[in-house]
Amino acid sequence: MNFSYFLLVLLGLPLSTFVLWGVLWLLGVSWSERVIGRTVKLVYAFMMLAFLMLCWQVYQQPQHAVEIRLGDWFQLDHYEYPMAFQLDGITMPFVGLTIVLSGLVASFSVTYLHRDPGYLRFFLLLMLFSFGSLLVFTASSLDLLIGGWELVGITSVLLIAFFQYRPEPVKNALRVFATYRVADLCILVAVFLAHQWYGSAEWSRFREIVMHQDGHAVPGGMFSLIAVLLVFAASGKSAQGPFCGWLARAMEGPTPSSAIFYGAISVHAGPYLLLRAAPIIHESTFATVLLFFIGGTTAIFATMIQRSCSDAKTSLAYASQTQLGMIFCEIAMGWHTVAMMHVIGHATVRAMQFLRSPSMLSDYHRQHAGSGGVMQATGKHYDALLPLHWQRKWYCFALFRGFHESLWERIIGNPLYAFIRLLAKIEQWPTRQKDVPEQASSSSLPVID
Amino acid sequence: MAHAIHDLPAQGPIGVFVHHNTLHALQHLPFEQAVTQAAQVFAAEPYLSEQVYQEHRQNGRILDRDIDAVLAREPDATLLSGRLTRRQLRRALLIPGVRRVNHGNLAWQIEEGRILEQFRDDLSPTAKRALESDHPQRLWQICTDRYQPTAATHERYATRPAEFVLSKYQFDLDEEVHAVLVRLVSAYLDQGLAYWPMPSREMGLLAATRALFASSKLIDLSQNLSGLRTAFKQQNECDAEETVLALLKQLSVQAEEYQEFLSSELLALPGWAGMVHCLEVDPMLAPHERLSFSLMEYLAVRLTLTVVALRNVSGSTTSWKMQSIPLNRHIDPLTHQARLFDACQLLGYHSDLLSSMSDDDFQELCRELEQFHEWERRRLLHRAYELRHERQILIPLARHRAMPAVAEKTDRLDAQVIFCIDEREESMRRALEEIEPRIETFGAAGFFGCAVDYQGLDDAGGVSLCPVVVKPAHQVAEVPVNEHHSRWSIRKKIRRLTSSISRAAGIGSRTLVRGTVSTACLGFFSLFPTGLRILAPLRYEKWMARLQALFLPQPRTELQFMRNDDESRNAASGLLAGFSIAEMADRVANMLHPMGMTMGHARFIVVMGHGSTSLNNPFVSAYCCGACGGRSGGPNARLFALMANNPEVRMVLRDRGIFLPEDTWFLGAYHDTCSDDVEYFDVDFMPSTHLSDLIKLRSKVDEARARAAHERTRRFANFDQKKSIHAALRHVKERSVHLGEPRPEYGHCTNAVAIVGRRSTTQGLFLDRRAFLISYDSSNDPEDRYLAAVLGAVIPVCGGINLEYYFSTVDNERYGCGTKLPHNISGLLGVMNGYQGDLRTGLPWQTVEIHEPVRILFVVEAAAERLIRVIHANPLLKEFVENSWIRLSVVNPDDGQIQVYRGHGEWEDLEGDEEPLPIAASSRDYYMGKREHLPVARIKAHHLMSA
Repeated sequence: MNFSYFLLVLLGLPLSTFVLWGVLWLLGVSWSERVIGRTVKLVYAFMMLAFLMLCWQVYQQPQHAVEIRLGDWFQLDHYEYPMAFQLDGITMPFVGLTIVLSGLVASFSVTYLHRDPGYLRFFLLLMLFSFGSLLVFTASSLDLLIGGWELVGITSVLLIAFFQYRPEPVKNALRVFATYRVADLCILVAVFLAHQWYGSAEWSRFREIVMHQDGHAVPGGMFSLIAVLLVFAASGKSAQGPFCGWLARAMEGPTPSSAIFYGAISVHAGPYLLLRAAPIIHESTFATVLLFFIGGTTAIFATMIQRSCSDAKTSLAYASQTQLGMIFCEIAMGWHTVAMMHVIGHATVRAMQFLRSPSMLSDYHRQHAGSGGVMQATGKHYDALLPLHWQRKWYCFALFRGFHESLWERIIGNPLYAFIRLLAKIEQWPTRQKDVPEQASSSSLPVID
Repeated sequence: MAHAIHDLPAQGPIGVFVHHNTLHALQHLPFEQAVTQAAQVFAAEPYLSEQVYQEHRQNGRILDRDIDAVLAREPDATLLSGRLTRRQLRRALLIPGVRRVNHGNLAWQIEEGRILEQFRDDLSPTAKRALESDHPQRLWQICTDRYQPTAATHERYATRPAEFVLSKYQFDLDEEVHAVLVRLVSAYLDQGLAYWPMPSREMGLLAATRALFASSKLIDLSQNLSGLRTAFKQQNECDAEETVLALLKQLSVQAEEYQEFLSSELLALPGWAGMVHCLEVDPMLAPHERLSFSLMEYLAVRLTLTVVALRNVSGSTTSWKMQSIPLNRHIDPLTHQARLFDACQLLGYHSDLLSSMSDDDFQELCRELEQFHEWERRRLLHRAYELRHERQILIPLARHRAMPAVAEKTDRLDAQVIFCIDEREESMRRALEEIEPRIETFGAAGFFGCAVDYQGLDDAGGVSLCPVVVKPAHQVAEVPVNEHHSRWSIRKKIRRLTSSISRAAGIGSRTLVRGTVSTACLGFFSLFPTGLRILAPLRYEKWMARLQALFLPQPRTELQFMRNDDESRNAASGLLAGFSIAEMADRVANMLHPMGMTMGHARFIVVMGHGSTSLNNPFVSAYCCGACGGRSGGPNARLFALMANNPEVRMVLRDRGIFLPEDTWFLGAYHDTCSDDVEYFDVDFMPSTHLSDLIKLRSKVDEARARAAHERTRRFANFDQKKSIHAALRHVKERSVHLGEPRPEYGHCTNAVAIVGRRSTTQGLFLDRRAFLISYDSSNDPEDRYLAAVLGAVIPVCGGINLEYYFSTVDNERYGCGTKLPHNISGLLGVMNGYQGDLRTGLPWQTVEIHEPVRILFVVEAAAERLIRVIHANPLLKEFVENSWIRLSVVNPDDGQIQVYRGHGEWEDLEGDEEPLPIAASSRDYYMGKREHLPVARIKAHHLMSA
């Protein structure tokens, strides 16, 4: 029996729940929490079931990847935009992780968010997020992946700003949003280029091109460009390299949303993209070295910062960033199976740690009591070998996050504001008045980090 | 400096949450004055919002007669001779209440609310008649023409640099300063969360900061803080105070402005500053790292950052004082005009009347309106709100007392159970007495008079189990019985191993190399413990308990509490080792005497301490026993029972008039208010004659805790009340072991009353878990000695709890700590929102959401003049009572006459009988199907009703 169509069920369940609730909600219908909670649990249970069916299918016919083509989205000359989904060795673990972890987080949130005014809003966003991430993982082309990619991004931003009546969550959500925009631009350009040069942005097409170098006489540099753009796009989602600053800022939302986004699924969408695009990335030495460089530097940078963090969630955020950096390195080295294992293990442990982060106090006290009051001191390995002056230097560097925000403000923020101010002046020029109020000072505008 | 500290929150590290009056610093002022003053200082709310009170008026929680009674107590005056008095005006504005029209929403109200097209539709018939021939447009015209309120001053001088920068550059200086300051302070105070402790922090915050910045040039990268390095360097090695003075000079703050300036700087980040201050006052509060804490050093760092940032932004450190800044909270004339417009409608003043009014009269009316502003209205509404509550409690109490006792006197009681005074035990006590009339219950502060430094079998060190104001002088430890020493050492080894594994796993998963290996290889397996816990919390807990029983040996233990020689002290702590016989007898006698337990003892006297356990909840200590300093009172109960069972102690007690029968056995027990589990201590020491009685008693207690749990679950919206009491017990148990449960229990939420008196006064009354019940028998206390002791402990404790709930409810964002959902534990000391913010103090929204913010009403069963003498003799109690931080009333122990204290020695007799006393056959019959606060009722079981 062919279970392939369960893939559509898998995608359709969260989407239809989201659409149905959204429409009814706009029409003014409201439900009790009990109904919402039960529906959410049921949806995840069915998704789990559909996933198991698909697993059975793959197990039965391991040589055939599950694939579904819903025809073309649209077609123009030789440019085609197919609506196609696939399920293979890379997709399977990611889809499994998404369902299991978001199911657990949903189950946690049903009680955790009890009586919060944003109860329905939270689950609407969680459903949309589940759909978005499943779309990312099952899309068989970059075009379709972008849809999911953006949904994951926007739900992430909206959940950071979940407590919208306080200024900080909104401010930080905006920063994250700005960062995402820049990173997403890379993936968008990559799609344009792929269509321009190869006529398609399907994964299978990329593979063919790499294998046969057929037809299109595309210079190697072009190839590298796409690979580099994808590396940057992945870095944006996973808070790596130039985008390393946003993850800590994202800790403003409710605890379960931090768990599913920044411990588990959302940040691991970066490695997924890289694993998918690995054939093209490995074609280009530059992109591979860049990937390794980004991953390596971020891992070292983040682990230093993590060591100085004195609060639960930031500490976990930088710990995530460290491991993501290592995963990037593993992918650059071509150790895809290791990277995959690392993704699965890391996403799980981190999500669980985030959920348990309010316990950090009691955990510590229990360990303290268990050890008889003598805790082994941390930070006394190779760190203690450094002279005190250097210890301080490193500590200062770590405590203030390597001062990267100041650096970005200087090299990107300031020129950008100058440019914006220039634009504002040009705009006001024809109707220039004497007493135009002074422009807001630089730092009140969002900075890209 | 000393004065500037006053306004800081006094909450210490969250591991030990102690309830106290949030406005403790203002307790020397009358309550109403203090809340308004604090509201100005903290930009907080003094009372609930006017809208909430008006809703309460509509649903009958506040009656019009309450408002009249409150107005009658306010001074009256004639405003318009022969036409209007102040009382009439105020009444018109409170019933039916003013409309919320102000300069901000006026345009909307005119267009959408159509306020200029028709008059209000909730006017009294007289007002409606008077306005029949009038048109709102005309009235509005006259109001705006004739009434030209002088606008409040729009400008003032900045009190601190950040205000000036914000208004001139639209740039938040605090954000820049706090980004660095919060990191420094949180890293400095960290109790073990960070992998790297701050280097050289033993030198103090200021010196460590200087050393840190001296080592790295990178700080100057930051645009607004460049020059910070040199600024710290230039301070040489000055001590904190000199540094602060020099910085104040740089900011050209004059000596007379110090207090205001420093206070406003400290209040910019009250949570952290308050934490530093708390730890400075008592470094022992720090759970692990006891460093030198100094608010002055904090201030030095803060001011250095401020000066540098100010210099970078505005180029000068003194100019901020010169420039005036616009006031952000001024009221526009339009708001006043709109209120006059509203008032005229409510009073039924025709526009002709208004226009023909003399100038003097008109001015008088307007001035009076300005004085009766929103806070004033809320103050009176709050009084009415409390007045109704008072009558809802006292009138039924009087009715109940006039009726025959619910339980008949029996020859000998089966058991007497001493609970904590905690209002959460009220339902349990009632349930127990409902099940078995031959059981009598008592209430005493949950440390049972035994202030000890206690070290449990599994603890790393001793902790104080007593109210925070008391310092324990005696040390008690739990030790394994002799034959179980080997079990204990195995247990210790296993616990050491598991704790080092869990620590290594926690830290290892977060570092680079260890993290890579461990997350890649083992990470996936963490799904099972946490995932199963989420999906099936109860079953998971059961399996874990089974596993523990299998692998973790549980030695039998005993308390080490006897002292044979006189002065045996612990060399390190200076604590006395245990108690001598005389000391034990003192404690037992001081406990039993005031409760009237000098004779008629039952075979069993159970002493029931309490505490609370829950998961994933940084606020767990707030649910524990307040009388044990935010910890569990189980050991105190166990200790008390052991003391009272000691034959030598009983001999001494006999000399003091307490005759304990041979067959009376004291039994220590522990009640978990979250899971409603009850545990009994030292059952194996009990004489075998009592075994069958214990089995009977246990079954009754089990039934009672299930009933109490069922009653408690009526407040939990996600539990279906139709389920059985055993389902309720399972439900509360699940809450206590659920990872994602932000409300394991409601804690002291809804507390409102404290009744000090004999149980016979309250027995059979359904008090809805809202009353602290303190046993006190005044007939046993001719010299008022015990009354002074009882009130001296109970008023500050209950008052503190109640006021903390009051303030966290009326302004959850300022006085409380907001919603729990985004909280982030910082430095093992407290919680903050997001990744770098202020420490949040007070109670979370989830804990106070159903609280009714009324000041606690004390009902003391004693003669009024004796009571007031006792209270005036104690300055702290006098402050509480005379400044109205609590409400006070008495029940005369002889004739049951109730009197309410109105301040300054004035007592008012309770009159009127508008509140009924419903009678129900059982608690369950009464509360079924209801989730709201319930009025007091009389519970009289069927078998007694027929008798």
